[in-house]
Amino acid sequence: MEAPGHAAARPTIVSLNPCLDAILVAIAPPEQVLALSHYSRDPASSSLAPEARARFAFTGGTAEEVLAAAPDLVLASTFIEPATRAAFERLGIRVATFGAPATVADSITQVRAVAALTGNAAQGERLVAAMAAATRPDPAARPIPTLLWQPGQIVPGEQTLIADLLRRHGFANFAAARGLGQADYVALESLLAAPPAVLLVAGDSAGQSHPLLTRLKDTRVEPFAGNLINCGGPSVLAASTRLRAIRAGLE
Amino acid sequence: MNRAVWVFAGLLALLLPLSLLAGRVWINPFDVAGSGPNAAIILMELRLPRAILAVVIGAGLGAAGAAMQGYLRNPLADPGLFGIAPMAALGAVASFWFGAALPVPPQWSLPLMALAGAMLGMVALALIAGRGVSDGAGSVGSGLALFTLAGLMIASLAGALTALAITLAPNAFALSQIVLWLNGALTDRSWHEVWLAAPLVALGLGMLAAAGKSLDALTLGEEAARSLGVDPKRLLALLVAGVGLTVGASVAVAGIIGFVGLIVPHLVRPLTDRMPSSLMLPSALAGACLVLAADSIVRILPLVTELRLGIALSLIGAPFFLWLLLRLRRGQV
Amino acid sequence: MLAAENLALVRGHRPVLTDVSARLEPGTITAIVGPNGAGKSSLLLALAGLLPAQGGAVTLDGRALANLGLNERARQIGYLPQTPDIAWDVAAEKLIALGRLPHGDDGHDAIAAAITALALEPLRARPVSQLSGGERARVLLARVLAGEPAWILADEPLAALDLAHQLNLIAHFKACARGGQGVVLVLHDLALAMNHASRVLVLHEGALVADGPPDIALAPAVIEKVWGVAIQWLGEPGRKALSPV
Repeated sequence: MEAPGHAAARPTIVSLNPCLDAILVAIAPPEQVLALSHYSRDPASSSLAPEARARFAFTGGTAEEVLAAAPDLVLASTFIEPATRAAFERLGIRVATFGAPATVADSITQVRAVAALTGNAAQGERLVAAMAAATRPDPAARPIPTLLWQPGQIVPGEQTLIADLLRRHGFANFAAARGLGQADYVALESLLAAPPAVLLVAGDSAGQSHPLLTRLKDTRVEPFAGNLINCGGPSVLAASTRLRAIRAGLE
Repeated sequence: MNRAVWVFAGLLALLLPLSLLAGRVWINPFDVAGSGPNAAIILMELRLPRAILAVVIGAGLGAAGAAMQGYLRNPLADPGLFGIAPMAALGAVASFWFGAALPVPPQWSLPLMALAGAMLGMVALALIAGRGVSDGAGSVGSGLALFTLAGLMIASLAGALTALAITLAPNAFALSQIVLWLNGALTDRSWHEVWLAAPLVALGLGMLAAAGKSLDALTLGEEAARSLGVDPKRLLALLVAGVGLTVGASVAVAGIIGFVGLIVPHLVRPLTDRMPSSLMLPSALAGACLVLAADSIVRILPLVTELRLGIALSLIGAPFFLWLLLRLRRGQV
Repeated sequence: MLAAENLALVRGHRPVLTDVSARLEPGTITAIVGPNGAGKSSLLLALAGLLPAQGGAVTLDGRALANLGLNERARQIGYLPQTPDIAWDVAAEKLIALGRLPHGDDGHDAIAAAITALALEPLRARPVSQLSGGERARVLLARVLAGEPAWILADEPLAALDLAHQLNLIAHFKACARGGQGVVLVLHDLALAMNHASRVLVLHEGALVADGPPDIALAPAVIEKVWGVAIQWLGEPGRKALSPV
C-alpha cells in the first residue's frame, strides 16, 4: 500500500513498446505495470522469459484499451501514432516516448531515464551496472571480421546498438569494411565471394538456411537470435552472453 | 522425334552451361579454383542445383500446360486454371502457422504442406468435375465446362483463404515472408529441393505422357473421343495427378511461377504436327529452357535484390497472353 | 447384329426414349428419322454405347455393350458426331490416323485404304483449316473407316453439305454397306432416307412408331401422324421427292 504523497513517485504504467516492456519487467514491481505491449505476448518476437510473460497483462495498443486500464503514465516509442498520442493527452494520460538507442551508452541513459520516470532509480542502477560490466571491451582482444545477417538478408549499419555490442565483444563490422550501410542487402553468392571470418545468421531465408553454410571452410557460421538485436536494456545482457559464448568457441 | 524436340533439346544443352556463369559473382569457367574463395561451392552448391531445379520445374510446368491445353481443347489454358497452384500455395502459406505442429524437420514442413494443398485441390477437382465426365450423361461439352468451372472455383477459394491468412498474419514479418514467397523464386535453393521436386515432377510427367493418346483423340471432340475408346475417368485421373504432381512440386519448392504452361505450347506447336501428344516432350524441354533462361537473367540484372522469377515471368507472360488473344481474335491460332 | 432391346433413356427427369427395340443387320443402311427432340441422337448414342440406358440394353452380336471393354467396343463400332469439332489445325492424315486408336497400331494399310476410298490422296498433308466443308466431312468419315469397324453410326452426316457432297458421301456409305459393314444414319431429310436406306426407324417423342422398309415406314399416314403434315411421295423408287398435298 503506497503511503499518500508517494503515489506520484511510482506512477502506474502501460507500455506500448516491446523494448520498454523488457526494461520495465527488469526494474519495476509487477503491480506498477498495468499492461505490456502485445509484441511481448508473442514468443517469437518477445525478449521476455515465459515466466515473466505469465505475470503481466497485455494490450493491443489501442487508446480505448489503455483508457480502460487507466494508467498514470504511458511509455511508447517515438513512432507512436500521432492520433493515439493526442488521444491520451486529451484524456489526461501522460505519455513519455523513447527512441531506439544507437549505442550501449545511449541504452544506459535510456534505462536511467525510465527508472527515474517510474520511481525505480535503485533498480535502474542495478541494471545499468550489469549492462556496463557485460559490455566492457577487452583491449587485448583481436577484432574478428564478422557479418551479422539479419532477417531479410540485410546488415546493420555502424551507428546501431548491435554494431556497438559487436565491437565491444571483439567482432569487427565486416559489412562496414565492405562498404555496406544500414539495411543494405547481402546475397548469399556475394557473401561467399568475400566471406567474413564469422557469420552470425539471424534470419531464415532460403539463403540463410542453405545447407552449404555448414560446409564453409574459412567461415564460422553461428545462429543469432533475432530478438537479441532489436532492443537495448536487458537484451544487452543476453546479447553479451551470446556473443561471449561465440567468442569463446572461436579461441 | 519431331523437329521441336531437337530444337529445344539443343537449346537446353546450350543454356545449361551458360546458366552456370550467371550470377553476381564472376567465376571463370576455366579457372574455378582461382576465381576466389568458395567459387567451387558457389558453382556446385548454389548454381548447379538451381539450374537443375529450373529445368525440372520448367519441364513440369511446360508439359502440364501442353496437357491442359489438350484436355480443355483451348490454347488459352494454363495449369493455374486448375486451382492446383493456388491450393499448393495455400498449403505453403498454412505451413507458416501449422508447420511447427508437424512431426517433420522444419525445413520440410513448407514443401510437404504445399504438396498436401495440391493433393487436396486434385481430390476436390476429381470429386466435383469427375461427375460430369462419367458416361456423357450430361449435355455435350458439360464435362469440360464443369471441369473449368470447378478449377476456377477452387482457385478463387484458395486465393481468398490465402488472402485471409495474410490478414491474420501474426506479425508484419510473417506477412512479408508470405507475400514474398507467393511470388515464386529459385533464389538460394539447394540440392534438397532438387531431390524433393525431381522425382515428383518425373512421376507427374510420366502420367501426363500416358494421357497422350487420349488427348489426341480429344481433338475430335468429347463424344468422338469416347467412341474411340477413351475412358474419361482414367483421363481425368491421369491429368489431375500429373498436373497436381508437376505443379504441386514446383510450387512446393519455388512458390507460384505462372505463364510457363501458357506460353510454351504456343512456341512449340508450329514446330510439331500439332497433336497434343506430340507437344508434351517439346513443351517440357521448352519450359525448361524458358525457366532456365528467365532465372539466369534475373540473376544478372543489376537490381538491389534479385528480381523474383514469378514476377519476371509475369512481365513476359502477360504481354504474350495479350498478343495471343489478339491473334486468336483474328483467327490465326 | 446390333440390337436395342426395350431401351429406356431418361435425361434429367425427362424420358427421352421409351421401350425402343430394333435389331439391325450388317450390310444394310438404316436411317433413324423423326422430328426435333424425338430422341434420334440419343438413340444413336445409345447404340454406340456412349449413353447408358436406364432400362433395357444394347447388344452387339448377343453381348451387352456395357460388358464390352472400351477398346473392343470402339473397334467394332465407329461413331461420327454431328458437328465437326476439331480442336487443332492438324493435317488430314493425322486426323484420319486417330481412327486406329482402339487398335493401338499404326494401321498404315487401313488408313491408306480409307484415304483411297474417299479420294483424299491429294489432300492428305493439308491442314484441316484449309479444307472445304465437303472435304472435311470426307476426312472425318475416313477417320471412322480407318478403324475398320463393323458398324458405322453417323449423326446427320449430310446436314451441312452441298448437294454434290451429300450424294458423294451417300455413295460412300453405300459402298461400306456393300462391303459388309452396318451403317446407321440419323437423317433429317426424309427424301434421302426414302431413297437410300433399306430400313427406316421413325421416332416420335421417344417411342418407335414405325420400323421397316422406307415405303412402309415413311408412308404418308406415318408422316402425317408424326410430323403433322399431309404429303405425298412423287417420282421413281430411288428418286422420290416429298410434296405437300
